[in-house]
Amino acid sequence: MSDNVKINVNGLQIESEPNKLLIEACEDSGIHIPRFCWHKRLDPVGMCRMCLVEVETPRGKMLVPSCTTEVSDEMVVDTESEIVKKAQEGVLEFLLINHPLDCPICDKAGECPLQDQTMAYGPGESRFVEEKRHFEKPIPISEIILLDRERCILCARCTRFSDEISGDPLIEFIQRGNKTEVNTFPNEPFKSYFSGNTVQICPVGALTSTSYRFKARPWDLKSTRSTCNGCSMGCSIELNSSQNKMLRILGVDNEHTNQGWLCDRGRYNFEYLNSDQRIKAPLKKTEGNREETTLQDVYSDLSKIIEDRSNKITFLLGSNLTNEEFTSFNEFSNKLGNNDNSIYLNEDILFKGFFDENIENAKIEDLNKSDAIIIWAEDLKETLPVLYLRVRQAVKNGVKLVVFGHTNSTLADISDVYFGGETVSNNFEIVKDISKLKEIKEHIKDKNVTAILGKASPNQSDQSLEKLFSYLKDNSNLKLLNAFNGGNSFGAFQTLGSVKGNREFSSEISKETTDLLFVVGADPVGKSIFSSNIKNIIDEIPTVVALDLFIHETSELADYIVPTSSTLGEKEGTFTNIEFRTSRIDKLIPSPGQALSDWEFISGLSNFCKFEGMSESLKDLNNKSFDSFALDTKPTFDNLDKPRNLDGIINTSVPNINTTDESIEFSDSFYVGKKLYGDKVTERHSKSISLLGSSQFIEGSESTFEKYKLNSGKCILVQENIEITVSYKINPSLPDSLIFFPKNRRNMNKLDFSKNIQILPSHSMEVLNVN
Amino acid sequence: MKETILLTKHMRENPEDSHLIESYEKSNGYTTAKKTLLGSSPEKVLEEIKASNIRGRGGAGFPTGVKWGFLAENEERYLVINADESEPGTFKDRILLERDPHQLIEGIIITCFAANIKNAFIYIRGEYAKPARRVQSAVEQAYQNGYLGKNIFGSEMDLDLVVHLGAGAYICGEETALLNSLEGRRGEPRLKPPYFPAVKGLYMKPTLVNNVETISSVPWIIENTGEEYNKLGVEGSTGTRIFSLSGHVNVPGNYEIEMGSTFGDFVETLGGGIRNNKKVKAYIPGGASAPWFRGDQLNIKMTIDDVANNNSMLGSGAVVMMDQDTNLVNAAKSIVSFFAHESCGQCTPCREGTTWLEMILDRVASGRGRTSDLELLLDICDNISPGLSWPPKMTTICPLGPSAVSPITSLMKDFREEVESMIPTKVLL
Amino acid sequence: MSWDDKLIKQAKKIVKIYPQKRSALGPLLHLAQSKDGYISDDSVSVISELVGITEVQVKSVSTFYSMYKQEPTGKYLLSVCKSISCEINNSNSIIDVVKDFTGLSNNETDEEGLFTFEAVECIGACGGAPAIQVNYETVEGLSTENTLNLCEWLKNETPDLVVADELQNKFGGTKSFDWAISDNSGTTGSVPGFQTLNTTKDKK
Ligand SMILES: Cc1cc2nc3c(=O)[nH]c(=O)nc-3n(C[C@H](O)[C@H](O)[C@H](O)COP(=O)(O)O)c2cc1C
Ligand code: SF4
Ligand code: FES
Repeated sequence: MSDNVKINVNGLQIESEPNKLLIEACEDSGIHIPRFCWHKRLDPVGMCRMCLVEVETPRGKMLVPSCTTEVSDEMVVDTESEIVKKAQEGVLEFLLINHPLDCPICDKAGECPLQDQTMAYGPGESRFVEEKRHFEKPIPISEIILLDRERCILCARCTRFSDEISGDPLIEFIQRGNKTEVNTFPNEPFKSYFSGNTVQICPVGALTSTSYRFKARPWDLKSTRSTCNGCSMGCSIELNSSQNKMLRILGVDNEHTNQGWLCDRGRYNFEYLNSDQRIKAPLKKTEGNREETTLQDVYSDLSKIIEDRSNKITFLLGSNLTNEEFTSFNEFSNKLGNNDNSIYLNEDILFKGFFDENIENAKIEDLNKSDAIIIWAEDLKETLPVLYLRVRQAVKNGVKLVVFGHTNSTLADISDVYFGGETVSNNFEIVKDISKLKEIKEHIKDKNVTAILGKASPNQSDQSLEKLFSYLKDNSNLKLLNAFNGGNSFGAFQTLGSVKGNREFSSEISKETTDLLFVVGADPVGKSIFSSNIKNIIDEIPTVVALDLFIHETSELADYIVPTSSTLGEKEGTFTNIEFRTSRIDKLIPSPGQALSDWEFISGLSNFCKFEGMSESLKDLNNKSFDSFALDTKPTFDNLDKPRNLDGIINTSVPNINTTDESIEFSDSFYVGKKLYGDKVTERHSKSISLLGSSQFIEGSESTFEKYKLNSGKCILVQENIEITVSYKINPSLPDSLIFFPKNRRNMNKLDFSKNIQILPSHSMEVLNVN
Repeated sequence: MKETILLTKHMRENPEDSHLIESYEKSNGYTTAKKTLLGSSPEKVLEEIKASNIRGRGGAGFPTGVKWGFLAENEERYLVINADESEPGTFKDRILLERDPHQLIEGIIITCFAANIKNAFIYIRGEYAKPARRVQSAVEQAYQNGYLGKNIFGSEMDLDLVVHLGAGAYICGEETALLNSLEGRRGEPRLKPPYFPAVKGLYMKPTLVNNVETISSVPWIIENTGEEYNKLGVEGSTGTRIFSLSGHVNVPGNYEIEMGSTFGDFVETLGGGIRNNKKVKAYIPGGASAPWFRGDQLNIKMTIDDVANNNSMLGSGAVVMMDQDTNLVNAAKSIVSFFAHESCGQCTPCREGTTWLEMILDRVASGRGRTSDLELLLDICDNISPGLSWPPKMTTICPLGPSAVSPITSLMKDFREEVESMIPTKVLL
Repeated sequence: MSWDDKLIKQAKKIVKIYPQKRSALGPLLHLAQSKDGYISDDSVSVISELVGITEVQVKSVSTFYSMYKQEPTGKYLLSVCKSISCEINNSNSIIDVVKDFTGLSNNETDEEGLFTFEAVECIGACGGAPAIQVNYETVEGLSTENTLNLCEWLKNETPDLVVADELQNKFGGTKSFDWAISDNSGTTGSVPGFQTLNTTKDKK
């Protein structure tokens, strides 16, 4: 680049983009300046003073913090002078005088910048003979985070993260001067979906997670880079294990996707891997009893059924498979002569999406580059949390935000325009003429717009979204992200010949059409809003095979259960995110017992059936998954493992989502959606997450609940012979009469939303409980 | 020497009611503002201020005209009067607030006219309850008379003025900390760059921050011209200044004088000499942040530059005299402990260093010092203010941290024996 | 919300004075203190709603400033200055008198809730050192004897309104400067007396 500036650092000439911070410019050229408070993704505060360097000015050499000083042309910098060294030693000594000497029991030891820099720059001996500052040793500030104020060096990373990035400033500096501490408000825990990031960026062991506490030493850790499959954001992660146990997940700074951040579900929903409830051997049901069997036995039974079948063989696949596994099922299904028509994705609300050669698929980084962002989708904070952070970031950088109706209430708070109940009906229809909405026009007319569109609720019709889409398309320079959020759903779109969802499954499949059903990594009986339908289907179908990690409401109905490996650290493959960026899934730990990857199972079964022309290896499947792409941009393992491709490779394609738009009729006043923490079997077996997702509730506006005469904070949901006690939360942004049901919370799937649900006040039962 | 009475004229001539608008108007108050708004131009006012060569009275001594000239163009701009006066030894703004609030308001009106500002604030330290009451009443009277609000004096100009009460934090005197405080945040100084108030100030909008005394001088300058003002005092320190004299003097108080005479002259004549005819052991020439002078340095001239050339500062104009019997270790400890208490806590060297210094001085003062403490004290100071030179180099965001270094370097440079004498001799066991 | 309507109305009026809501945080904290003598968690919640920030953000600000008390204060907040000019004018002996009389150490409040004692940094009364503030009403030129008299008088008379001029006339000495006309407005509690806060009154 021609407009780069040249600066002189320690006698060396280096180049940098203008306006870069000195510390970053030096870092880019391999000159490391020590620091504590500075973090690339946070606004600089220049508080710790560790990064001081000398810069020549008209008034002579000056000590300046390199983390707050921008480079300018011909700047002359010394990062190693005597004065600089003395200042750094001084800062270190100051930080250490009140820092406890508890490294031997500190989680951060071994990867602690304070410890490292003390070795590198620190004074040998303490000159501080006074008493150190004391605080009560670690105090829990949420169900999963502990705070040890004695260790805190007041770098403001956690407070800045919470305020600037996640937008829930629940942790702050208290007191001033030498008494300053970081803390939460009494009785107001650090309840943030993103709290784990503060643990990761805390430069000392002041913030620790209960999940990792005392579990390991960094020097014992094995690690690898992978991709989170918790939602379709595709955050880059580092997996850490010790003695073959997964112990920790860290966010990796991938500029294009998560920029280092993770949501707490992505970070802590791995504890299930170590659960002793994992299935370890194949199980077979004979006369109602489940017994251990061998894989060979399963193959042999299934091959007979496959041979003798008179009907179809159907697949219901979870979204957490790798691209290679989807390809393997696709191949297998084709081999069975199914013509692409018998694979279903375990997603309730698949809509057709807006994929077509004429509409440009947005990249996540486009959010930051557009003039405006338009959102109408399920709550991003709950379903694509790190995308939510990226939207926030864009807004902070001045991008305008327009939010449509009811679901994205937190983003509505920071939006420039919000279209609530007057524009969007309780059934998620736009009730006004969009072209007459002045407020939106000024932000989009001939501007660069990135839209995030998806079904806000299952009862929203495709047409209502299409109306908005075509308006945006006609009036702006539009790029679009289709807000499907289930794990590797974009991988499925890309690799499966055709995709349908649970709605189609429950109306198309029966014992008349299907002899054999594979349910793979999916628990629709436990989780789908079509749960009761699907249960009936599974009960009827002659043979059902479940490939899964756990026994749950669906797998327990199966005739065969085959234990499989988790996509989190137990297998290799690739993952494709919401912007069609494909990145690596890597293996770090062995699978329990006889668990095997789904593709290995299919490969074994194919071999047993003597099918020919099937992919033999993972590498074959990987190549086959991306058949149609040009060679150099094919996300093959070889390509992805090249250093320049570690952040993934984008390749868009037009998927064939073969769904119908039969609208699901909900009772007018309900809508359902996911909350970040749910009741999936993996979540139930991850302690940290199960703590966070244990409450059951519904949401509505104050006036809505007044109509039901609720007043005790709890209510009872009644439908036929089902009774569920839940609490009700006031969500002021919901329009009158609209009630939200979190469908992934325990028991909620028992309710049939197409039928009436009574909401009754709960009378306190405690009084009767004399015992 | 004699006082030169400009700023304190009205209050002296009207001791009974100088704070009331009726009295101020009787002394031709507000006529300058009225004339200016109806007949002058912002450029003209700025010219006069520049011609006066007045330098800010808040401590840093920055030329006021230059500062006004820096104010960035914007629809929204603000004026904030720094009435946080908390530097130990200083009580000059207090008299201007308490006894002549309308002079300040008139200064504000003229300043806002010159800088095209529609919103002004007076940030008064919370402990100044009575001065704040007086100012608040004065503001209300000014509104009633149409001197604040819409179409002031029937001109085109609108101005709103809010009196805002601080809550006990010296650091809020630092202009960017003050702005944070006024925004309802912790009073932590902002980074300069990029937050120069004249460009990114209150609510990130261009903002003028000026001291009470600076703005109180504006009506006189405009009425009598900058040229006349410039004739008073000496080059580089023009006009009059109110000095707060305290410590072991016979007649402590506020004195308005032209800069240029010696500290010795000042103390002997206006201050009535040192109590009980004692000698001066050391004195502080410009508030607690300033390095001390010895008793044999009383012939230094009271100008910004003379004091600076002698490695200290005229600062806030607070002169504190310490007689021959003063325990200077205790005095230094009092000052260091002030800065430790008032550190905002952002910068590691200030937060940790000042408290550490306080702890060591406390040990020394109570007879538990060690010989090594002397070097330790200086080395800690060096880590807060590298080189221990004047003006101080800083490892910190704002000058508060380095201010705590002043009394210790003074002590060590000129009174080392006194400190050493407090270290118990080692008992051999 | 547990502030009564009158207080909420007053608070909302204060919020309106400023171009941005958050600027009202400081005055609202003073208001909270005038209600309870300290910043209660409950007030923090009320204020957080009024200015639209989280509770811990309010707490963060309130604990930064030494005049916002985190614990209940007595009817009379006795703040003795210990900064340099007072220090070299024997403020220590004044502190000792107050401590002895009240039986309190620094930042303590007596059980009756009558006195809170604190040794504070410079209160801008250096010319009249040593000095004290009673509920932020300044008394200058103290002697140890007059300090004791002042404490006793407060204890016996328990005036509802503390007026600087009255205390100065009764117990003060050398002043920083001539206060000129005597003033009869004063402070109603352990917050500064200030019109906007309704914490000042005129003594009849
Ligand atoms: C730690 C610190 C405390 C300060 N306290 C005050 C103060 O109490 N009053 C004041 O007017 N200026 C104070 N200043 C100076 C202000 O930052 C600023 O320079 C001044 O208000 C500008 O006004 P002037 O140009 O009229 O002097 C302080 C500066 C520092 C660094
Ligand atoms: S030097 Fe001290 S007071 Fe100034 S910003 Fe740093 S910590 Fe705060
Ligand atoms: S890294 Fe620059 S001051 Fe902390």
